[in-house]
Amino acid sequence: MRVFRPGLARVLASAVAGPLLLAGCGGQGGATAVAGKPVAGGTLTYAVDTEPVSWDPHVSTQDLTAELQRQVLDSLVSEDAEGKFHPWLATSWEAAPDLKSFTFHLRKDVKFQDGTPFDGTAVKANFDSIVAKQTKSQYAASLLGSYTGTEVLDPYTVRVDFGTPSAPFLQAASTTYLGFYSPKALAGDTSKLGQGGPADVGTGPFKFVSYSKGQEAVFEKNPDYDWAPATAAHTGPAHLDKIVVRFLPDASVRVGALNSGQVQVAKAVPPQNVAAVKANPAVKLLGQSEPGGNYNLWLNGSLAPLDDQRVRQAVQRGIDLDLDVKTVEFGQFPRAWSPISATTPGYDKALENSWPYDQNLSNQLLDQAGWTARDAEGYRTKDGHRLSLQWPQLSANATQQNRDILGQAIQADLKKIGVEVVRPSLDVGAYSTLVYGGKANIVDLSWTRFEPDVLWQFLNSADAPAKGGINATFLPDQQLDDLTNQGRATLDPTVRQQVYQKAQARAIDLAVVVPVYTPVALTGVSTKVGGLGYDSDTWLDFYDAWRTP
Amino acid sequence: MTPRQATSGTDSTDSTGGAGRVAGVDAPGGAEPAAAGPARPGRPARLPGLLRAVLRRLVGAVAVMFGAATLAFAALQLIPGDPVATLLGPATTTSPEVRQMIRHQLGYDQPVAVQYLHYLGGLLRGDLGQSYQLQRPVTDLIAEQLGPTVQLALSAVLLALLLAVLSAVATAGRPPALRALTSVWELIAVSTPSYWLGLVLLTAFSFQLHLFPVAGADGVAALVLPAVTLALPLAGTLAQVLREGLEAALGQPFAVTVRARGVGRATLVARHALRHAAVPLVTLTGWLTGSLLGGTVLVESVFGRPGVGSLVLSAVNSRDVPVVIGVVLLSALLFVVISAVVDLLYTVLDPRLDPRLGSR
Repeated sequence: MRVFRPGLARVLASAVAGPLLLAGCGGQGGATAVAGKPVAGGTLTYAVDTEPVSWDPHVSTQDLTAELQRQVLDSLVSEDAEGKFHPWLATSWEAAPDLKSFTFHLRKDVKFQDGTPFDGTAVKANFDSIVAKQTKSQYAASLLGSYTGTEVLDPYTVRVDFGTPSAPFLQAASTTYLGFYSPKALAGDTSKLGQGGPADVGTGPFKFVSYSKGQEAVFEKNPDYDWAPATAAHTGPAHLDKIVVRFLPDASVRVGALNSGQVQVAKAVPPQNVAAVKANPAVKLLGQSEPGGNYNLWLNGSLAPLDDQRVRQAVQRGIDLDLDVKTVEFGQFPRAWSPISATTPGYDKALENSWPYDQNLSNQLLDQAGWTARDAEGYRTKDGHRLSLQWPQLSANATQQNRDILGQAIQADLKKIGVEVVRPSLDVGAYSTLVYGGKANIVDLSWTRFEPDVLWQFLNSADAPAKGGINATFLPDQQLDDLTNQGRATLDPTVRQQVYQKAQARAIDLAVVVPVYTPVALTGVSTKVGGLGYDSDTWLDFYDAWRTP
Repeated sequence: MTPRQATSGTDSTDSTGGAGRVAGVDAPGGAEPAAAGPARPGRPARLPGLLRAVLRRLVGAVAVMFGAATLAFAALQLIPGDPVATLLGPATTTSPEVRQMIRHQLGYDQPVAVQYLHYLGGLLRGDLGQSYQLQRPVTDLIAEQLGPTVQLALSAVLLALLLAVLSAVATAGRPPALRALTSVWELIAVSTPSYWLGLVLLTAFSFQLHLFPVAGADGVAALVLPAVTLALPLAGTLAQVLREGLEAALGQPFAVTVRARGVGRATLVARHALRHAAVPLVTLTGWLTGSLLGGTVLVESVFGRPGVGSLVLSAVNSRDVPVVIGVVLLSALLFVVISAVVDLLYTVLDPRLDPRLGSR
């Protein structure tokens, strides 16, 4: 079945928006300011672009699952925009000097939505369930890393133990991925948790009332809620009575529904629609750079021709990223210089402008590497082989953030230096097998996480795909391993800043990565909505939100 | 001559009482079929013949279903890619042990022949297995998504038929200029991508005029735009076929005879010609079903409606094998049922095709 795919015309047909860089607007709350006090009651309709495949954040890697289930599941701690941790379900905590264990003192007045009290056994039950094989966790288990178990010291004190130093654990513990279900919900068949709906019982400010696949998910206020995190703007129950989440995959439909007042919040406004949203006085645009891994091209250093560092460097310096990103993304996404975004702790600002576009340099490097002959189509050859790179695209989300068109621009740039880029469009099965089997030359990926430890995921040889990880460089490097391991072994921000900066610089020098742009979460919000803002992961948090009729 | 009975949709109650006589007059013309009357003594016994026909159909249906199931299984075996990698998605951190466990649970560590037999065994028990992605029985998933799709498809077909009949009746045998004009709109309707049409309709009637809600399966209002989106291209094709059929019928000798007796054009078209024209339309039903199935996928996605279309789209994207196979089998079943209904309709529209009446 041919699914209609708009191409270049999609972008060209949209009016060109002037360049406009959105400043990050901090973390919690205050993002949309409707004059006056919060209003109690009402229903807010939120149009989102995809549908969670699994609703269980213990299983799924999806950002949307984490964002929506944040309303239902609370965490031990909460992180602010500066990367500081604040009490939530835990009132206080201590880390052991070796960072192999963390002790949490829990609140005693917290109840799950089914009436079960929240205590140490609930913490243990959740963490044990996440790492259990039958849960088939695709992400949360890796956030627990070398977890060895949870010790319930008394009903309201738990110690979480790890086999290796685990500095990033606190950040992980602040996310929905390590949020808490009622032990009753975990008893029996946990696979039903992924189906959404009333089975998903947490301690959060909203209850998951119903889910109708392909149409909507409904969340209703939990009237008993009285344990908001210290980072929230208010205490007690949420302001809204109800949140209705509508699944509208088509961007123009989402924007149209927002502009016509049928939904109050629309996720993932495409860069080319920003101008239309801004032109409507009844709607505001929330924009915040996503933390974690930028949209990067990872170069496979284990496979010819990119096993030659000169060729990798030629590719890195042979793409006019400034122009390509600005044009294709309508000036909405900042061009990236590091594999992690500027809003991520540990970001290395010194990398900015340190590896500019330089076609001449690329040509010299390729000549040095022996790719001197040219074939009839103008591509470089060596020993009769064309200099050709395979960069597969995942058909299911090729058009996300115009990445398909950006890919065409990159293809055209590399052709200028005699490098061919082939982009087969594959479904998820063929794609995963090829890419994570190390048989593709280039992999593109972005990864939202408010923690420089994403560099461990991208660069440490222990996270190689053969071991179930996502390190797509396929190039073990002792220096990168040491640096990213050291970052896990200390909570000292100065030391962490140093090692992560070195790791970023090393990745650029090795030319295993070409950072492309920093994704900006763009959300259209009706001016009737107040108190809605992003958390540090750029996920919307509806606890403080309200709407005027 | 048996008295006429109201059997076809175009025949309402016999108000003139003259229909029987008309049919009698037409008979020498040799073209107007009479409705099938009750069986008469002296004909071959109905039951064994009917039973044979039904049995033949059933065997054929089972063969088609078996073929579809086997083809679907083979196709999914042949496409490249590790099913477990598929299941986990493109960027996940899952330990090799867990991957191995999933492989074992799904029986992927067994020989293909064993997997195939397991699969067939499940099908015979009416068990389509569990969705990989959604961890629920496929039969449940399809059952709960079927309603909205059937609702959408039926509304679209009825609407398309209505538009086609209006357009064809209004222009059949009319001056060439008018026909050319209608042909142009029909061609435009046929060649409009439903995806784009849906967006245009939404922009105009939902976002600008606020007449209909953008999406959802709740209420009639939410059904209007998706149904129109699906119906317009169908109507274009159906109208052209209908008009050709009508013009052919109006050129038949019986039409002249009927008109000569002073029957008006409208009556002639409604009472006689439409029935002739409906035969090629029924032939198109198979094509119609196929295009509806394809159309719902896009329309449900644009309008954010639940349904089998959006289910199959996400299943294909995430290669959720059991769901894909389930929908393939459902489609095969649909075609089997529809072809049976079509055969039945032929005999209603043209009794000369009734197998019980012996050779044609």
